[in-house]
Amino acid sequence: MERQEIIDGLVEILKTVRTINQEKLVGVTEDTDFIKDLNTPSTEMINIVAKTEQKFDVEFDDDDIDGLGSKVKDVVDLIIKTKEKEQ
Amino acid sequence: MDNFLGWEPKDVLVKHGPTKLLVNKYHWHSPRVGIVASYTPTARDVEDHFGVFRGVDQIEAFAQATTGTCNVFLECEKQGLTPVELMEVFLPRFISVGQVIFHNYLEVDDTFISIGNIKFYKFRQMVCDGRIYKVPAGLDLDDYFSDFNEERLLAYDISPDFTLIADLSDITGRAIKKELIDKLSQL
Repeated sequence: MERQEIIDGLVEILKTVRTINQEKLVGVTEDTDFIKDLNTPSTEMINIVAKTEQKFDVEFDDDDIDGLGSKVKDVVDLIIKTKEKEQ
Repeated sequence: MDNFLGWEPKDVLVKHGPTKLLVNKYHWHSPRVGIVASYTPTARDVEDHFGVFRGVDQIEAFAQATTGTCNVFLECEKQGLTPVELMEVFLPRFISVGQVIFHNYLEVDDTFISIGNIKFYKFRQMVCDGRIYKVPAGLDLDDYFSDFNEERLLAYDISPDFTLIADLSDITGRAIKKELIDKLSQL
C-alpha cells in the first residue's frame, strides 16, 4: 500500500470527525500534526486510531498507541509496520 | 476473578485516597457492560460548601466508579496483574467530560449510586455514560442489585424511589504508562 493511499484514507476518516475543522483537511501531508495543525482533541486521537484499524484492516498493540506521535507520518508508519508484522 | 464484587474500592483504585476516594462499595459489575457503585459524602466532602456535595465531586465520584474501576478490571484481566501491580506501571488519568446535566443535589450523608455503562474501550481508554441517583433511605443496595442485569442497567431500570441527580455522558479516562508521564514531566 502506497503512503499517499494511506494519507488519503486518513483524510477520509478525518472528514467524519466533527471536532476537526474540515477546511484544514485540504493539503494534509505526512508532516501535518493532528493536534497542532488540525486542533484534534487528544481524546479524539484514540477514536481516529480505532477507525484507522477498521479502515485499513489492521490491529494495533496498546503499546504502539502509547508511544504514537501526533503527525500523520507517525500513523502512516504504524500502519505499514503493523501490516508488515501481520504478514 | 469474574468482576470486582466483594472488592474494597481502595484495593482497586489504589492511587486514590483515602480523602480523595469517592467510592464506598461496588454493588453490581459486568466487566464489559458497566457497573453500579455507591458513595456517601462525608462532612469533610461538603466542608466550606454549605453542606452540599459539589457537582465536580459528583463527576469525579462517577468517573472513579465507572471508567476508573472498569478500566482497572479489564487491564488487570488482559495483563494478568492485580490492581496493585497494574498501578506500578500505569496511572489513571481523567481525560475528558462530555455533557453533564444536574437535576438535583446531594447533601452530607446522602448515599448515591453511580450507574455507568461502557460505550468505548480501546487502547486503555474508556468512555462511559450514566447517571447518578440518590438512594432511598434505608435501602439495602447489595440486596436490591443482587438480581440486576445488563438490560436493566442500560435502561436505568430501577425503582422510582431513587432520585435522579445527574445525567453524564462521555466521561473518559485512560490508563497511561508511568514512564510516559515521567518523560513528559521532564520536558
